[in-house]
Amino acid sequence: MYRRLLININQVRNRLIHTHNTRLTLPSTKCKERESFAPVTWAPCTARPLGTSSISFSENKESSTSLSEDKGKTPEETEVNAEVNTDGQRNTEMNEGTEISNATLTSQLETEPVVKPEDRKQVETTKSGKESLLELLGAMKVEVTTVRKIRPSKTPRMSERPDQEPMESTHSMFQRAAAEGSQQHGTLNPALVAAVSAAASTLPNRHQAESELLKQLRKHEAIPDTQRRADIGHIISDMKVGKRPNGRSNVRPTSQIRFDDDGKGYTQDRGITSELDGVRRRKSPFTSKRLNLFAAAAEQDALSDLGPTLWDIDLVNQIVQATNQMPRNGFEEMIQWTKEGRLWQYPINNEAGLEEEASVPFHEHVFLEKHLDESFPQQGPVRHFMELVITGLAKNHHLTVQQKKEHIDWFRDYFRQKEDVLKEAEAYLN
Amino acid sequence: MASSCSQALRHHVCKSSRLLRVHLQKSWTNRSFEGAVCVSSSFALNSAADQQPAVSSPEEIVIPKKKTWSKEAVLQALASTVKRDPTASDYRFQDDPYLTPKTSSEFKLFSLSQESGRNAAKYFINTYPKYFQKDYAQPHIPCLMPDTLEAQIEEVSEAALIERIGMRKVKAAVDLYDQLLQAGTSVSLDVTNQLLDLICFYGDHDPAQENVPEQRNEETEDVQDEPQAKKGRAAKASDLLKATWKEKNNAERIFALLSEPNKHSYSALIRGMVKYGAYSKAFSTYTDLLNSRLKADMHMFNALITAAPEVKEKYNEKWELIVDLLKQMAEQKVRPNLLTLNAVLKALRRCGTVGKSQAFPVISEMKALSIDLSLASYTHLLAIFYKPGAPIQGQTDILQEVMNEVSGKSFTPQDPDDAQFFITAMRICLDTKDMEQAYRVHELLGVGENWRLLGNDFQQNIYYARFFSLLCMMENIDVMLKWYRDLVPSVYYPSSNVMRDLLQALDTDNRLDLIPQIWKDIKQLGHANRQNLVEELLTLMAREKHNQEVQESFAECALDIKKIYDTGDRGKVLLNWTAGSLSDLISVLLAAHRRQDAWDMLKLFKTHNRVPSEELLNKFLMCVKEGGEVNQAVELVQISAGFCLPGTPKLIQRVQQEFELTEQQRKMLSDLEIQSFNSE
Repeated sequence: MYRRLLININQVRNRLIHTHNTRLTLPSTKCKERESFAPVTWAPCTARPLGTSSISFSENKESSTSLSEDKGKTPEETEVNAEVNTDGQRNTEMNEGTEISNATLTSQLETEPVVKPEDRKQVETTKSGKESLLELLGAMKVEVTTVRKIRPSKTPRMSERPDQEPMESTHSMFQRAAAEGSQQHGTLNPALVAAVSAAASTLPNRHQAESELLKQLRKHEAIPDTQRRADIGHIISDMKVGKRPNGRSNVRPTSQIRFDDDGKGYTQDRGITSELDGVRRRKSPFTSKRLNLFAAAAEQDALSDLGPTLWDIDLVNQIVQATNQMPRNGFEEMIQWTKEGRLWQYPINNEAGLEEEASVPFHEHVFLEKHLDESFPQQGPVRHFMELVITGLAKNHHLTVQQKKEHIDWFRDYFRQKEDVLKEAEAYLN
Repeated sequence: MASSCSQALRHHVCKSSRLLRVHLQKSWTNRSFEGAVCVSSSFALNSAADQQPAVSSPEEIVIPKKKTWSKEAVLQALASTVKRDPTASDYRFQDDPYLTPKTSSEFKLFSLSQESGRNAAKYFINTYPKYFQKDYAQPHIPCLMPDTLEAQIEEVSEAALIERIGMRKVKAAVDLYDQLLQAGTSVSLDVTNQLLDLICFYGDHDPAQENVPEQRNEETEDVQDEPQAKKGRAAKASDLLKATWKEKNNAERIFALLSEPNKHSYSALIRGMVKYGAYSKAFSTYTDLLNSRLKADMHMFNALITAAPEVKEKYNEKWELIVDLLKQMAEQKVRPNLLTLNAVLKALRRCGTVGKSQAFPVISEMKALSIDLSLASYTHLLAIFYKPGAPIQGQTDILQEVMNEVSGKSFTPQDPDDAQFFITAMRICLDTKDMEQAYRVHELLGVGENWRLLGNDFQQNIYYARFFSLLCMMENIDVMLKWYRDLVPSVYYPSSNVMRDLLQALDTDNRLDLIPQIWKDIKQLGHANRQNLVEELLTLMAREKHNQEVQESFAECALDIKKIYDTGDRGKVLLNWTAGSLSDLISVLLAAHRRQDAWDMLKLFKTHNRVPSEELLNKFLMCVKEGGEVNQAVELVQISAGFCLPGTPKLIQRVQQEFELTEQQRKMLSDLEIQSFNSE
């Protein structure tokens, strides 16, 4: 694969140089440009995996090239939409993809042959094709570490879609490019080396790929400067790439497995992930869409009239069995005892357990004369005796009012039974 | 008297305070007219006064509302101040220091004994209630009094039926019902429904008899006791197998007798059918219900959702059936509850990939209905995404998401499956080796009353074993030891396998000097008789050279281990010497220059019919040489020759060269040399 990449990089280079040269002579030959664009189309615009570079143009900016963004910076007339391929199948369809991209996409490009005067001015400024390539490659910010840094799992970042990116004029871009690239002659620019290794890192045999790429690039260092007057930016500026929105591009698997070459095999995003997630507060699956079966404000139907059924009791019992109900310290044990009713309740209340007595006012307890009225004699020894009885009862705090009444009633019955005897003794006066 | 007096007093106070409040309110309304603020309720008085200090006068009195404390509030506040003591054993063992468990088997034994003692007492009280009638307590404490187990009402009446239903006597209740019908008395629908509930609940079998001790133990035994619980579980499982839903059982018969069964009757029948495995029958009963133009209730739907995965084969069909049931619920305006949600999620566990796609929509649906998820919901969710044994494919996020949701929340038990959450979550942490989430899970356990949801002792042990294995694997030794000191043995008694993990962790982090300490713990935990654990320990000690101090402690430890080998338990040998363990032990002793001890050990090779390695003998000879013991050297050669070791000639040569031998010894050696030569 890296070979193909290599070839393509060289192709790009050569054609850029070529185009530039031709351009200088023949400013707007449409067919020429078309031809020259062919290799450049290894940039986006296919739904297929990208053949030439094997880099998937995911919208996720860290892991893959932000080439699309880069293009977004090119003049307004170029509308580039990176077609993102998130499936991991790029390797298999690579060759095919190359062909497709080379052959078919040239036609898709609606090149605008018009080169504006100010552009031309910019073109005149000293800029080598290498610079442009560098810029292009540099934009491919592919991670080069052997051990992949932990990255948060991705969510589509709509805000960074190229079409929403503030457009940068060619003018300013070129100026920037000019400022950046000035001294790369002789040895390879470290940035270029980085870019190459980045590109290589996407290939299976990374180190070999890298070294070969670099070797190849060094060979081309020998090419005289005059040949290298080309500007990829220029060409790109003239490109117009058809947009092809694709829903799939937004979807990324929640977690991608990446291959890690420190021997651990497949690793997963973790660690810092969660912290970053916390910061970004990404969409949690718990807020996903609902089934929409029930109306939210469905009123509660009347609760079952009968108390807890056997089933309810059993449910509670099951829950109690399943959970740990053992007390962990003395206080918890006391709580348990309180619930069972074995312990005097807190806060301490002298009248605990006397709830039904609380509704009886005290005068019921104390003033018991009213119970003597009807059936007892109004005077005499029996009356006197009963008065003593109710005095005693009034002072007795062990009995309830009901018990006191029963006590009095017992005497009433007793004296009624003995009425004859009492009358005989003239003790019963009524 | 006193009570009535205070009663009167309170009455009076109440009255006067009411008067006061009325007065205040009146004055406030007057003033509020001035301030053009009308606050009608006296409750809002305070805040309004704060806002308008100019209007309110200083003598304004706000009588606080009477606050009623729950009877446990004080104790709860006190209990919240008590933290776990990592040096103490479980609270239930603190009465008697003699009964502090040191090993997991002791723990089981003691907790089991305690429970069975309680059960025995209860059994006697309930069997002989006439001896336990004296009521000392005032106020009366019902739970201390014996339960009435015999039916009190003898005649055939509806009241007697209700009593038998209350006492859960299935057979007696059914008989009585039949007698009532034969006598021509009609039984009210409510009571019949209760009877149906009873029959369906117990699957037309009498529940395990309360007054038969063994069965009673099984039923009321605390699930803490693991072996007992296992037995209990097995018994229950077999009960369930026996107690399947029988064709034309009493429930169906009585149901058929009902002229107009209502929702409750159907509900009882369907729930019973689902509980006892008659799933398709439950669905046909549900169809009957719909045909008789009745509406189902929530419990019925919950039962049917539970049964749904049983009646369909394919994942899709199962899910469609569930959705269908939910739709019918919505149509019939039955509001789902938490148990519905959990039933759906539990059913989704058996729906394979459909479960993964549908779990979150279901949860969102329930959230939209403002049903709070319980830990059981999360348990099911985790089980849907992480199948045990299946490769973990990038599902870590789910655990993380779940933890994001639950972190810091205190849960109350609402579903029997709630108690599965912690061990499930910890299993996933262990499978994915996710230390970070494991800490979060453990942190959650400390929130509020969540510790109750860890479940019984058996589950606790699993949980801590998983947590601790993960710690051994992932954490550095200091952190790991901190946890070790914290958890062992106050809440967790590690198994011998976990102790091996611990040793390996020590090995990885180069802290082998801690081995003697760990050995003490191993002894205390009762793992000293585990052959492979002890051998691993010896190997680790013998493997490398350490400084003098460490070697000394190793030697002590080795001698300690030797004692275990020597003393069998009641004549039974616990551990068998192997050549490896013997030579490891001798190496440890030699490294600590305990030549005499090592020499004694060397003799054990002979008594246990093991053969020492050449390497060991060489090592030994070096040590002997340092000590300059000529006799021992010769003896060593003799031992070596006795085992017919191939290295004997070399050994003889070394002794001849390196030691100053007497004539006799020389002769002996040359004899041995000839011997060994001959034997070869």
